[in-house]
Amino acid sequence: MGQSKSAAVLNLYNSYSAKLLGYIYEVVQNKPIAEQYLSAVFNDVPNELEEFSKSGTSAFCRLQIMAREKLVHFFESLENDTDKRAWENLPWVNNRYVTLMTSFQQQVFCDIHYQCKSAGSIAIELSKTEEEIRKTLKECFTIIRNGRNNERVH
Amino acid sequence: MKEYIDSGILEVFVMGAATDEEARELMYMKAKYPEVDEALKQLETDMEKIAGEMAISPPPHMWEKIEDEIDDLIRLENPAQPVKFRTSGYDQNKHKKAPPEDQFIPIESESNHMRLHKSWRWIFAAVFVLGKIFLGFAIYFYLENRQTRQQLQELKTEIRELKKR
Repeated sequence: MGQSKSAAVLNLYNSYSAKLLGYIYEVVQNKPIAEQYLSAVFNDVPNELEEFSKSGTSAFCRLQIMAREKLVHFFESLENDTDKRAWENLPWVNNRYVTLMTSFQQQVFCDIHYQCKSAGSIAIELSKTEEEIRKTLKECFTIIRNGRNNERVH
Repeated sequence: MKEYIDSGILEVFVMGAATDEEARELMYMKAKYPEVDEALKQLETDMEKIAGEMAISPPPHMWEKIEDEIDDLIRLENPAQPVKFRTSGYDQNKHKKAPPEDQFIPIESESNHMRLHKSWRWIFAAVFVLGKIFLGFAIYFYLENRQTRQQLQELKTEIRELKKR
């Protein structure tokens, strides 16, 4: 591997690996598996370095999107309904921002953020329009931002 | 513009759930309208902060492992395959024997560095220690030899003097 590429990947690793591992762990709820996904994401980074500069998103968001693409296979590996149900009941509400949302907002946010579903598929599942799902997601971000601002004030 | 920002499309995009068409449109809007760019940056900061709340430090030596895997992928010219990790699979993989190619010494063509199997360090250590021992012996025998020659020279001188008498 070229030294410059290696340095670029190491730089990304040093800056974002902890945050990315935290996110992946929240999804898979298993540390060894989360570490394997983290490793798989960074293995792909050398091939995606150009994308990092031209994709128009921040490096962390790009890494998170790459992680989501990998995590889609995690959901495929949940073989039966019992596995799926057990996983869907995981305590994501541990995230203090998620606790501030209504149950519908939680569902939309968690379906997209943790289950890597598209807005379209959630709209079909919940019998809503895509527009409503997007607006709900926006509300979720407003709640998160307000929650953070309130913490700063206190 | 406010309507576009309020539609929630930016949120969908930063979460990686936007369609290609939506992403293209957003990139156009971002380039054209600074307020879209600003709102997008704000959301990206939000995403990073949410993740920062739950950050977990990776185990030590994780980077070395990743670096090795990247090097192996490049060496084998094997594009990354879709991955599925399960707990049981992980344990199995953990105890799997290393593939036979790991027993060889890979040499990177692009850089000036060479990677060796870890067992070579013991061989290098043994060669180093043996080298020191041989050097010690060589110095010892050299000095011994020099001393013997001196003694021999002295004896010859003494014999010559005795003969003269």
